[in-house]
Amino acid sequence: MDLLAAAIAIGLSAFGAGIGNGLIVSRTVEGMARQPEASGLLRTTMFIGIAFVEAIPIMGVVVAFIMLFL
Amino acid sequence: MNHEAPVRYFLGMPYNPSNILMITVTCVIVFVIAVLCTRRLQMKPTGLQNFLEWVMDFVRGLINSSMDWKTGGRFHLLAMTLIMYIFVANMLGLPMAIVVDHELWWKSPTADPIITMTLAVTMVALTHYYAIKLKGVKEYGKDFFRPVGFMFPLKIVEEFSNTLTLGLRLYGNIFAGEVLLSLLVTLGTSGILGGIFAVVPMIVWQAFSVFVGAIQAFVFTLLTLVYMAHKVSHDH
Repeated sequence: MDLLAAAIAIGLSAFGAGIGNGLIVSRTVEGMARQPEASGLLRTTMFIGIAFVEAIPIMGVVVAFIMLFL
Repeated sequence: MNHEAPVRYFLGMPYNPSNILMITVTCVIVFVIAVLCTRRLQMKPTGLQNFLEWVMDFVRGLINSSMDWKTGGRFHLLAMTLIMYIFVANMLGLPMAIVVDHELWWKSPTADPIITMTLAVTMVALTHYYAIKLKGVKEYGKDFFRPVGFMFPLKIVEEFSNTLTLGLRLYGNIFAGEVLLSLLVTLGTSGILGGIFAVVPMIVWQAFSVFVGAIQAFVFTLLTLVYMAHKVSHDH
């Protein structure tokens, strides 16, 4: 049961993180293609956005680890 | 993965001496870096002084992007200390993890939720303190009802959720990285074939963990400054 719960937790977290990060990076690449001079600022903002979006899925990963190993 | 925290008791309260050890190591390392970089201060920086000047400039850019320098200048040293401390703390668990008698003694201090939540609560409490100090209690109270009055419960919830995500974001990233490192070590020490298969993933994961540690230190400092700017600056 624990294994199933851990798998569901990390599967759904990966789903959310994948879609969120994909949206962020695709918009960043589009912005960089439009205006290459702003690449530095866009890249920094992209990393901040990724850290924001990955916060909750990382908590899901920690929950899965706790269920697997504790 | 069969190690646990060395819990000791002081006056009936449990605590983790491994955290105390790792925090002390972090403080010593940051102190040594700061002292070594400012040995011979010159107007035209040479050698190690360049590194600390770069950190100062980087943090000054962070503060300038959130608030004006007149209000934000007083947080320069706070942000510098925060980013250096969290970066060194995140890096400490990467070279090794020392387990003595099934108790984990050497790890990143930020891989413990107690440490990161304490940091987050301290930073958010600091923002409230500076809001009251710089704006006065009446203005601080009125800020909760701007821009519309019924946002008050949302603002209260926002404070708690900001604190929670600030602390747990740092904890989750560093703890998950360390768990995967220990899993790769288990693979690497489980025979010749396991050792060969674990070399490349270990290299890749160590590099990624250095990157993630740096990004998380940056994001923690940036978010602290942004929360500070929301409460301290005057133009909404």
